[in-house]
Amino acid sequence: MGRGNRLPDHISDAVLRWMDASAAQGILITDASLVIRGWNQWLVTSTGLTRDAVLGRPLFEVVPSFVERGFDQYYAEALTGQVKVLSHAFHRFVMPSAEAALRIGGQMQQAGRIAPLTEGLAVVGTVTLIEDVTERVASDQELRGRIATAEAASRVKDEFLATLSHEIRTPLNAVLGWTRILRSRQEFDVATVRRAIEVIDRNASAQLTLVSDMLDMARISSGKVRLETADVDLGAIAIAAIDAIRPTADAKGVRLVTDLAPQSAAVSGDADRLLQVVWNLLSNAVKFTDRGGQVTLGLSAEARTVLLTVTDTGQGIPSTFLPQVFERFKQADPSSSRRHGGLGLGLALVKELVELHAGSVTVASPGDGQGTTFRVRLPARGLLSRSSPRVQARGSADGVLAGVRILVIEDDLDAGEIVVRTVTSVGAVVMSASSVSEALELLRTPADCPNVIVTDIGMPNADGYTFLREIRRLPAECGATLPVIALTAYAAPEDRARALRAGFHAHIGKPFAPEALVSAIVRAVAGRGAPSPARPPR
Amino acid sequence: MQISATQHDALVELLNIGFGRAGASLSKLTGQRVLLEVPHVAIRPLDQLNATLEELVKDEVASVHQVFSGPVAGDALLMLDPAAAASLKQLLTDEPPLPLAVDASGREVLTEVGNVLLNACIGTFGNLLKVPVAFSVPEIDVASLHLVLQRLTAAGDALRYALVITSGFRLRESEVTGYVVIILTVQSLTRLLIALEAWEKNQG
Repeated sequence: MGRGNRLPDHISDAVLRWMDASAAQGILITDASLVIRGWNQWLVTSTGLTRDAVLGRPLFEVVPSFVERGFDQYYAEALTGQVKVLSHAFHRFVMPSAEAALRIGGQMQQAGRIAPLTEGLAVVGTVTLIEDVTERVASDQELRGRIATAEAASRVKDEFLATLSHEIRTPLNAVLGWTRILRSRQEFDVATVRRAIEVIDRNASAQLTLVSDMLDMARISSGKVRLETADVDLGAIAIAAIDAIRPTADAKGVRLVTDLAPQSAAVSGDADRLLQVVWNLLSNAVKFTDRGGQVTLGLSAEARTVLLTVTDTGQGIPSTFLPQVFERFKQADPSSSRRHGGLGLGLALVKELVELHAGSVTVASPGDGQGTTFRVRLPARGLLSRSSPRVQARGSADGVLAGVRILVIEDDLDAGEIVVRTVTSVGAVVMSASSVSEALELLRTPADCPNVIVTDIGMPNADGYTFLREIRRLPAECGATLPVIALTAYAAPEDRARALRAGFHAHIGKPFAPEALVSAIVRAVAGRGAPSPARPPR
Repeated sequence: MQISATQHDALVELLNIGFGRAGASLSKLTGQRVLLEVPHVAIRPLDQLNATLEELVKDEVASVHQVFSGPVAGDALLMLDPAAAASLKQLLTDEPPLPLAVDASGREVLTEVGNVLLNACIGTFGNLLKVPVAFSVPEIDVASLHLVLQRLTAAGDALRYALVITSGFRLRESEVTGYVVIILTVQSLTRLLIALEAWEKNQG
């Protein structure tokens, strides 16, 4: 700095006074002999040492810990012209805090710089700047914590995707494998075909469960699950769930036992969702129980709650894993060599669904190889007799649609064929159309007007909704008043609500259970009065 | 300007002594053994520095910069690929890495490491020439190589030379490569090379 640019003395003095009294950093000045010549207010406050106590005294006598920590070397190098950086990460602090401060908040976290003071090329002293970095350290730690959490979540997601890919491929492998075996055969023996159908059915069902669980979980996560609440008999649901799981349990050689109190209890809830809860618990129990084992479903009513228990004699759950049983994507054995498939969603869904019903679910296991008990508690609604309406159970339905004429609209040939086979197997007469325009054409020349129409929704050119609007313009005797059932892969609750609002008589999601379609047709036809179906399904 | 084999060897030997000291300082700081490899040294006209460094560092670079002044004057920089900078920081402090842009403590640590290394290099020259050297406060920056070099070349005349020193930090069975670039005026470099030869003769 040239002489002409030098600060006027009164400004220099003001700068020094500011550094002394107001600077937000510690400023320590020594001469070339390392005797303290400057000690600002910040240092007085943070060390508890007054200026009178330090000025004119050798630095290392005032702060002996500088020598113990090797800072004497730094000062020696600063006296040769070097600047020294003291990072927080390596040193934690520069100047020890006052005793009183140490007792209250501990050592202040600091970073610093030691620099030479020069006159020309001669070093005439040193200046040490000390900064309080406590807040920065805390926010760094918080940021690291958040990043660690995000990385852990990302790892869970990666593991999940790997599992998902595996779980989706596994049933496909069986389905495609058996399909190819059948295609390669010139002649079929009944045993092979039966075996193939059984395997394909089981694997396709497994995949359907997988996809449904995933979608349910996504809906629950985004708060989109709406319960269709009614008074429900949990006993009837328990029986329906047992019916549904029985083939799997039988195939595996696991005995199913029910212990239902004579008077079952009613709860207020969504029958489909509660069935899902019980089925998931039973399915989980069967999955983790070896051949020869037993799964018991118990149901008892208490004063204000209904208690449902699922107990198995299976492999049990290690106590370390118990707290994580209901977490998503968790299985006690996540390794690729694990014995049991699945996404680890079933029990997470159970917990979410039970909690949506204002209930609770707990798990207990005495240990390895000693089985597991799940307990679901739901608020009781009152007592219902066992003869109250039951969840639809599978029954014999031969000829139930005898004489009923059905128009099936489906652009996908394979999907159409399944519908046609389902309804003709119970006696219905079918007309098929592969598009909305074809269907409308059929209705305009009604040789035999259908009693009911089953239509896909997503179709090229004109969809199921367009069809519904068009048919309402047709004459009443064959068109405007016909019941129309939507049969669609748009199967989410909001899709169902939209379809029913639009005027569809019923909404059935794909893939569909044959009895669900048949029973919807029966209801639709019965609602119109004629022709009455042979007999209603049970 | 050419550097003779004798001058080159003397320079490597001297820098190696300086790096040995720097490694010892870093070991003491971190409580783990930090070794600096024998440096590789090349001398380049400043206008060719860009091309030389582009081969070593891609796109962005984390640099610690110190200006030194006195009879030997110039700019000294430690340059690290940002990923290398982050992993060096992790190896030294055991803290999980963050992007340097949001990691104030990481920037500070690298500033101290750069400071130790650059002091070792320039201090070696000062001792050799028996002249005092004054340093500026080190500054760390993460920017494109182009921008870093532009700032240097814009700062003065183009008749300058760059000493490009490549070395590796070895610690915990890992190696992180860093580059020290020292930019000198023609006079400073000439003075340094003469002193190097004298030193080499005295050693012999």
